[in-house]
Amino acid sequence: MSSIVLPLVLMPLLIIGIGKFTVYQIQKSQEQVVKIAFVNESIAPELADAIQKQDKTEVVKIEGDLSEAVKNDKIDAGIIIPTDFQTSLDKQTPIQIKVIRNSTSSKSTTALSRITAGLVVYNNEVLQSRFSKQKINPTVLASVTAVPEDVATEKERGGFGLGFILPLFIVMWSIIGGQYTAIDASAGEKERKTLEALILTPVRRLNIVFGKFLAVSTVALLSVVISLVSLYIGLKFSGSSIYNQASQTAAAGTNSESLNIVFSLEPKAIIILLAASLFLVFMFSAILLSISIFAKSYKEAQSYIGPAYLIVILPTVFVNTLPGLKPALWFFALPVMNAILLYKEVLMGTYDWNHILVTVGSLVVYSLVAIFLAAKIYSKEGILFRD
Amino acid sequence: MQVKNLTKTFNGFKAVDDVSFEAQAGEVFGLLGPNGAGKTTTIRVIATVLAPTSGTAEVCGFDIVKNPEEVRKNIGVLTTDIGVYDRFTGRENLIYFGELYGLTGSALDKRISQLSKLLEMDDFIDRRAGKYSTGMKQKLAIARSVIHDPKVIIFDEPTAGLDVLAAQTVLNFMKQAKEQGKCVILSTHRMPDADKLCDRVAIIHQAKIIANDTIDLLKHKTYASNMEEAFLNLVKK
Repeated sequence: MSSIVLPLVLMPLLIIGIGKFTVYQIQKSQEQVVKIAFVNESIAPELADAIQKQDKTEVVKIEGDLSEAVKNDKIDAGIIIPTDFQTSLDKQTPIQIKVIRNSTSSKSTTALSRITAGLVVYNNEVLQSRFSKQKINPTVLASVTAVPEDVATEKERGGFGLGFILPLFIVMWSIIGGQYTAIDASAGEKERKTLEALILTPVRRLNIVFGKFLAVSTVALLSVVISLVSLYIGLKFSGSSIYNQASQTAAAGTNSESLNIVFSLEPKAIIILLAASLFLVFMFSAILLSISIFAKSYKEAQSYIGPAYLIVILPTVFVNTLPGLKPALWFFALPVMNAILLYKEVLMGTYDWNHILVTVGSLVVYSLVAIFLAAKIYSKEGILFRD
Repeated sequence: MQVKNLTKTFNGFKAVDDVSFEAQAGEVFGLLGPNGAGKTTTIRVIATVLAPTSGTAEVCGFDIVKNPEEVRKNIGVLTTDIGVYDRFTGRENLIYFGELYGLTGSALDKRISQLSKLLEMDDFIDRRAGKYSTGMKQKLAIARSVIHDPKVIIFDEPTAGLDVLAAQTVLNFMKQAKEQGKCVILSTHRMPDADKLCDRVAIIHQAKIIANDTIDLLKHKTYASNMEEAFLNLVKK
């Protein structure tokens, strides 16, 4: 149950849910009406006007201390215009206006960015009038402007987004998926006292371990596949539009090029993802079996396996937080880390055969070692009869 | 079945110390002793679940060290701690173990219905084992241990925790097995059971065998009228 239904429901829910939530938050902050109050508004009416003309910006009158009002959330930002504003403007010396804001409030941050945008407009107006008075073409100001052009393909952009979260999920499900079966087949048999009846049969100890191992890895693999398929279907129907929206709205301020993100995976990618997952699952299954045969009971086994998640989550965090990590080849020989790096690459459409071979090859070796260890542990009589 | 100078130590502690005895086909051999005397460990070593520290045993001519799989094929062991798969019915439990013993198809079906009749399990064999009473579970465990019709049957405390009726079924089953020419070994600390059933007994006390004889001779030697007295006299010596 837990290894099939959970990934089926949880995966799309999480990914799409997070996407929807991000879009909602971005939209909400854009639609927020911010309140701004001025001191000495009458000294600089054009400046106040330029700010007021910004979208969803409301100017209110406040009696008393502006800082107090910002603190109490009565307004989101306050602007104090110096009394010598007009004289400085006439003398063409730099003017500083004070903006009071609260950096812990997201609404206040939005207010600040609208004020800054208003100031840009106002500055342009002032400069234009100054230039035209001296008969200079205002375009001299715009010496260089940047026109961004993204070399990342649509697929890479899609993969980049998924590359953060998908590897973690694959790795997590390959543990969580097999966990229940592993505990049940070892510590569970001990607790139910069926283990002795099982090893009394003529079946060889090695075959018993191998049977248990196959059961654990089948279930684990099934939950990995189910989580991926349900995620894929979920994204197909609603997800990609969400991600487009999210990245578009996020990018709206900086550039206007449209971001189309595609989540199509080539068959080649799917095969590589599955191959790496398969051996990752084998490795984890054998490790889970070995850990849980040490335990006398279900609960004890769970407390042993709990810390194992850390081993999985740490490399993912490491890979995801290091900016522009260019992994050396030996990174692809580290268990778990290699799978996460490879998933990321493949999702972005990069196929480095050295990386693929080292990853899959080392995972094969690790899983064989893990299976061998599990078989060794199962043939220790002390562990089987630890009452 | 022959046990020769069997010794098993756990981290220096001697659980079984130089134990030797012999049991023949067509008899019930009693392995008697107080709790913790080493009966269960002896059985586990004979059943090849534990490896002997020294000495060996032979079951139907197969050595427990050299031929453990053949030994397991010819031996049926009822353990003290019986556990069954709760989510399976009694029949499914038997099918599962039957297949592990290499039985399949109609031969397995036949054996199951035979055992079910013999142990009076027909009423509950198709119910989930999780709902069984202690007596039902014990019957299921017995059926499981002899599903492959072994030549040697070892029962470790088979009547522990059972009511009189259920205990009677179990004892009758052992009697029948003996009549069929099986070698039956009963390990117990309940002397009345041994008195009723066993032809010969070995008494294990503190990991060593302190007596090995027919019931009548033992009673005679210790001037006792029943096994309980005989046992007490022997152990206190």
